[in-house]
Amino acid sequence: MQIRTSALAGTMESSDIMVRIEPSDAEGIELALESSVIQQYGKQIEKVMRQALSELGVTSARVSAVDKGALDCTVRARVLCAAYRAAERDDFTWEVGV
Amino acid sequence: MAALVAAAPLSGVQKEQVRAFLRAQGLTFGDDAEYTALLYEGDAIVATGSLCGQVLKYIAVSELAQGEGACAAIVSALVQQASRWGRSHLFLYTKPGNKALFSSLGFYALVQTADILMMENRKLGLASYLASLERGLPGTQGAVVANCNPFTLGHRYLMEQAAGQVTALHVFVVSEDTSFFPAALRYEMVKKGTADIPNICLHQSESYLVSAATFPTYFLKDGVKPELAQADLDIALFGARIAPALGISLRFVGTEPFCEVTAQYNARLREQLPGYGIALRELPRKDNISASAVRAAIQAGDWERVRQLTLPQIYDDIRSFADANTGGAR
Repeated sequence: MQIRTSALAGTMESSDIMVRIEPSDAEGIELALESSVIQQYGKQIEKVMRQALSELGVTSARVSAVDKGALDCTVRARVLCAAYRAAERDDFTWEVGV
Repeated sequence: MAALVAAAPLSGVQKEQVRAFLRAQGLTFGDDAEYTALLYEGDAIVATGSLCGQVLKYIAVSELAQGEGACAAIVSALVQQASRWGRSHLFLYTKPGNKALFSSLGFYALVQTADILMMENRKLGLASYLASLERGLPGTQGAVVANCNPFTLGHRYLMEQAAGQVTALHVFVVSEDTSFFPAALRYEMVKKGTADIPNICLHQSESYLVSAATFPTYFLKDGVKPELAQADLDIALFGARIAPALGISLRFVGTEPFCEVTAQYNARLREQLPGYGIALRELPRKDNISASAVRAAIQAGDWERVRQLTLPQIYDDIRSFADANTGGAR
């Protein structure tokens, strides 16, 4: 998935995460994470984010996130949403019924 | 339960409510708010913030609502709206005591004076900008910051004189697009107009020098003259972050007999730059040439005068742009 523009998903309110994904000139994912629980869960959040991007085939992007204690499923949902927006695509496959 | 309302622009009644709320917090609501987020508790505002260009301003939370995530809700709403408008690089100013609060909302400190802390929402924003700048040959490094709206013989004279006094001269062309001549054209004009001066390193100032972002017009508490505090922040960012990255020890300005704001800015530079180990050199302005005189000549259709005040290699650029945008010179 090609990141074409800067896009945002989520909020900075409690139990949510705000994720911004932007195009990058370089290969790789540049990730800047701020979290109210970074000591306890920083690595886990980053793992979930990178996993979601990798599933979409995003190989180059600048990602910044402000986490307020979001659960993994929320982190994943916000990353997927921001990535689709940043790729200017809306052909997502909903997981309903799975 | 608090309710978040956002509006652009505010209606008369709401605007007065916000004005009164901010006044109680010691802040003055300016006319530059494009989009305002409000948090209500019943009929009362308990928190607000506005988006002005790429700057988050007029952020205040009542004591009652502090610690309840009110600030996070306001900043979230503003950041989302900025994103919808295609603005991803954002700034804010706050009291130094609020650093931790805004750090937790994804803002990173850029520079700080006694009264104000300036922050941006990119962790490596300034660092990447500084890393991208062309370095001069080792030796004395000087700097000029200029809008060049348009580039005149006066700018040429200043840059030529300054370049003669240093090993490398860093010329920052203001990137803010609020002038008659667009930023890209101004940059091109300077490039053409100084192509024969080998020791000039030409840069875009982006949002980091003399920009709408480095000139906040809000939030200053009583007793601080806003225009002075604004210059202080711009000077602090240059002195504490930009100049050290390039090894700049001299800043050049032309003497300013016309524009009061620029004259005041120069006076603040003279006063404050030595504190950062930078000397200010004021060079006498050549024949009192000014960019505003060129714009006045364009307005009057006096092309002979324009020709006299500018360089032959950029005259055509000025003429063709002005012809295509007639009546807009200011």
